Amino acid sequence: MIIQLHRIEVISRKDMEMIDITPEVDRLVEQSRVAQGMVFVMTAHTTSGIVVTEGVECLERDIPAHLERLAPKDPPEGSYGYYHNRLLDFDGRLGYNAADHLKSVIGGINTFFPIELGKVVRGGRQRVYFVEYDGPLARTVFIQIIGAEAA
Amino acid sequence: MKGGIDFHTHPVLVREMVERYPDLAKAARDTFHCGNNFQPLEVMLAEMDIAGIDKAVVLPIDATTSRNATVYTNEQIVELCSLSDRLIGFASVDPHQNSAPATLETAINMLGLHGLKLAPAMQEFFPDDRMAYPVYECAQALGIPILFHAGLSWEPGSRLKYGHPLRFEDVAADFPKLNIVLAHLAWPWVVDAVALALKYPNVHLDVSALYFDNPRDFLRYAMTQQVPLTVFERSLRRQVLFGSDNPRIEIKSMARAVRSLGFSDECLELIFRINAERLLGERS
Repeated sequence: MIIQLHRIEVISRKDMEMIDITPEVDRLVEQSRVAQGMVFVMTAHTTSGIVVTEGVECLERDIPAHLERLAPKDPPEGSYGYYHNRLLDFDGRLGYNAADHLKSVIGGINTFFPIELGKVVRGGRQRVYFVEYDGPLARTVFIQIIGAEAA
Repeated sequence: MKGGIDFHTHPVLVREMVERYPDLAKAARDTFHCGNNFQPLEVMLAEMDIAGIDKAVVLPIDATTSRNATVYTNEQIVELCSLSDRLIGFASVDPHQNSAPATLETAINMLGLHGLKLAPAMQEFFPDDRMAYPVYECAQALGIPILFHAGLSWEPGSRLKYGHPLRFEDVAADFPKLNIVLAHLAWPWVVDAVALALKYPNVHLDVSALYFDNPRDFLRYAMTQQVPLTVFERSLRRQVLFGSDNPRIEIKSMARAVRSLGFSDECLELIFRINAERLLGERS
């Protein structure tokens, strides 16, 4: 049995951004010597996410835009507000990212794939994205690989 | 309107500097009280790009007497600025120390820093305490601005009494050629700070204030309800500066909020760029 935990850094450069991390997941699995098993991918942060979807530029725009409609950073004036927009003494700053936490909850923070014959098993159009909701920031993604070596 | 200067940033989370000087991590956590993750400098520069900001003033705080700590030394600020030509370094000195004027003179003339940061609440002195007057005399002679923390202070142990705008009146009156900037609109005492700026043309205000709700709604309250926007637009247009207080708030968020308030394009140009350039250029 092999169990490996990797931490990769992803640097976002926009407010919201979908960053394709599929090649990194594939590379780590292929280097792991795991033949049959599972790879688990999880963001370390509560204002970012992990999303699996088709790897096309139009969806990379549509998905953050839709989440922004569901949880707008600044709600329409005079409508509602967020309790999280208050002084967070443990951070020494105001919590101005309630909407980004909500997007992370809605969009999810993890995914997993089977491993077969030493490779990640994905649908033909599936890609693994790190999704930034509160960028730009340097972020950490955990990738855990678990499984059996080839006989 | 694009381009401009963020007159108020604290580089306490810059990872490259924390890796070189581990004590900066302690200063960020224990003295400055900022709990966010350390980030590569390129993240701050990317945020400036998103905000349409060209350059940022980076501020140290010398709290040797009050906290037995510095949040960046002047030399570390110089080193940080060597990593990017988009950073404008300020100095800090400890007004409690007799050597403060000489330290300031060295920081400006030898190290090439561009202004002075003082944080009365963290450094524990009243701005109108005569103890600090030699520092003001030195700054006035050097032709550099002083950016004072004013108003409420986040840090535990920092008392609000040191930040009331009226404690800056003697400084403004006694040093008429010294440009001083009261940070954070001196919130909650915005009316008092505005009164001071109306009376003394050498008093400026930076808008890096966010104490509840969100940047848009907070600044709308402070700059349209506590004081009408027309006062800033018509009377104080040459005395208001853009500042974010990064990393306590994102540069992009404060820039968007200021641009949403309803200022004329001409006034935004003054707030974001021209006023800062004038203060920084007085020396040359």
